[in-house]
Amino acid sequence: MIKVYGVTKKYPARTAVDDISFEVKRGEIVGFLGPNGAGKTTTMRMLAGYLPVDAGQIEIAGYDVTLHPQEVRRRIGYLPESCPLYPEMRVDEYLRFRAELKGVKSAARKAKVSEVKERCGLEDVGKRIIGQLSKGYRQRVGLADSLVHDPDLLILDEPTVGLDPFQIRQVRELITQLAERHTVLLSTHILQEVEAICERILIIKNGRIVASDTEENLHRMLHACSIIEMEIMADREEVVARVGTMDGMNVRNANELADGWLWLEIEADSPALRVDLFNLVVSQGWVLRELSEQQHSLEDTFVKITSDKGEA
Amino acid sequence: MSVFLSLFKKEFRTSFLSPIAYVVMFFFWVLSGGNFIWLLQQMTSGKSLMFATQGIFGGMVLTFAVPFVVPLITMRLFAEERKLGTLEALLTTSVRVPELVLAKFAGALVFYAVLWLPVLVYLFTLVRLCPQEVVGFPDGGAIWSAFVGVFLIGALYIAVGLCMSAMTSNQIVAAIASFALLFGSTLVLTFMASSSQSSSVQVLGQYYSSYVHMLDFSRGILDSRIIVMYLCNSAWFLFVTTRLIEAKRV
Repeated sequence: MIKVYGVTKKYPARTAVDDISFEVKRGEIVGFLGPNGAGKTTTMRMLAGYLPVDAGQIEIAGYDVTLHPQEVRRRIGYLPESCPLYPEMRVDEYLRFRAELKGVKSAARKAKVSEVKERCGLEDVGKRIIGQLSKGYRQRVGLADSLVHDPDLLILDEPTVGLDPFQIRQVRELITQLAERHTVLLSTHILQEVEAICERILIIKNGRIVASDTEENLHRMLHACSIIEMEIMADREEVVARVGTMDGMNVRNANELADGWLWLEIEADSPALRVDLFNLVVSQGWVLRELSEQQHSLEDTFVKITSDKGEA
Repeated sequence: MSVFLSLFKKEFRTSFLSPIAYVVMFFFWVLSGGNFIWLLQQMTSGKSLMFATQGIFGGMVLTFAVPFVVPLITMRLFAEERKLGTLEALLTTSVRVPELVLAKFAGALVFYAVLWLPVLVYLFTLVRLCPQEVVGFPDGGAIWSAFVGVFLIGALYIAVGLCMSAMTSNQIVAAIASFALLFGSTLVLTFMASSSQSSSVQVLGQYYSSYVHMLDFSRGILDSRIIVMYLCNSAWFLFVTTRLIEAKRV
């Protein structure tokens, strides 16, 4: 759906996007992550055909963005950052106007507008003036606008910024529904959002793509060893000594909890070594109440990628 | 074409939604009304009706009021789109830049035409008051050519204002820049046209001063050179506006 080859964008003072390449396949939901100023918005603007590329090539649905801008624009729904709308217009009026601009045939226009209003939960505010709507509703108007011409590809630049948690959940559900019919590329810096809806993650830093994979693969790539947590009733010294002699294991932390149980954090080459730990506990006659692998959060992974790896 | 029409419709509607529109109308209509009263007083003190068309269209008040109100109409057009970010939303649909520029130009021109509507009432009043035995009034030709002049001057001024608005995201900057350009040039060129120091300065002034042109237009003189000059210059400023919008995206 999207093919980006060696794209570069330079501003007078700095290079915003530096020789990036990636692909997004039809039907995927891809999250585009990166710290502020990493080049997310610039990349999305180039994909939408708003900014020209300085070098490289972008192909959307088989059309080159520079050579066939009209063909590309017909196929994408783009929600710019900060969701720009005309505050003096009414919701219905605005959506009708946008449908006209996007070349929706006049016979289908009314049906299309009411369809996107229904999908975005805007049925009750059609007559309201956009400037008087809450931020959440405005964001939905922006989303409805990006959907009105039934595009193959949705490019959403921070679609949930400034919404309350309830609204965020609604918008997320909406995007997940959209993914059944459209390919979605969305940028955000809210990581839970990506964890919740995206199948694949692109991470950009200082204008370069530093990672592109599924969430699990990213974790696996970054965290070579897994951390196993264990709570047992046993003597601290003995446990540390015993575990220390086992293959591929290393005690990182061992603390006596307030209720007398011993809490251990163990670095292991593989999560499968939990079985060995269990066997050890049984053979020593200790009492075990917890044995689990620590889950890495996307936040850890993100911080690790954008700090260490980027500088390497 | 349908994209142009929806853009034009939107521009025209929006121009009546902003409070500035009503300030501009109030200001312009008070001035043109004042100009009409002044004209009536002139005529009660014996001025000929032959002078009426010229007085309504070519009077100092209107010639110098137009460079003041046009920037107020045009300042919003692109500067606001830039500030709100809606320019990005517009240019990522099927809209082409020349279409957008022309739609904004046409919308502003129609609003400008609305400003001149009361003048029809003044003319009608004069025609009704005019005694049967007066020869030479109303002069249909002079009235038509005066409207052509109003239209041409308006078109050029709006094109200049649009160009200034395309340069910035600040409406005040756009308004002041176009006001300085339009008012300054009208003033300087009119002084040049009436200068007796040097004939070359005078000729140059007469070529470009819209005050001088308006006097001609309202006497029924349609000089093709001047018409071509206005059309070319408007087209040139619209072209520059298009290039500015295409080039200056962030």
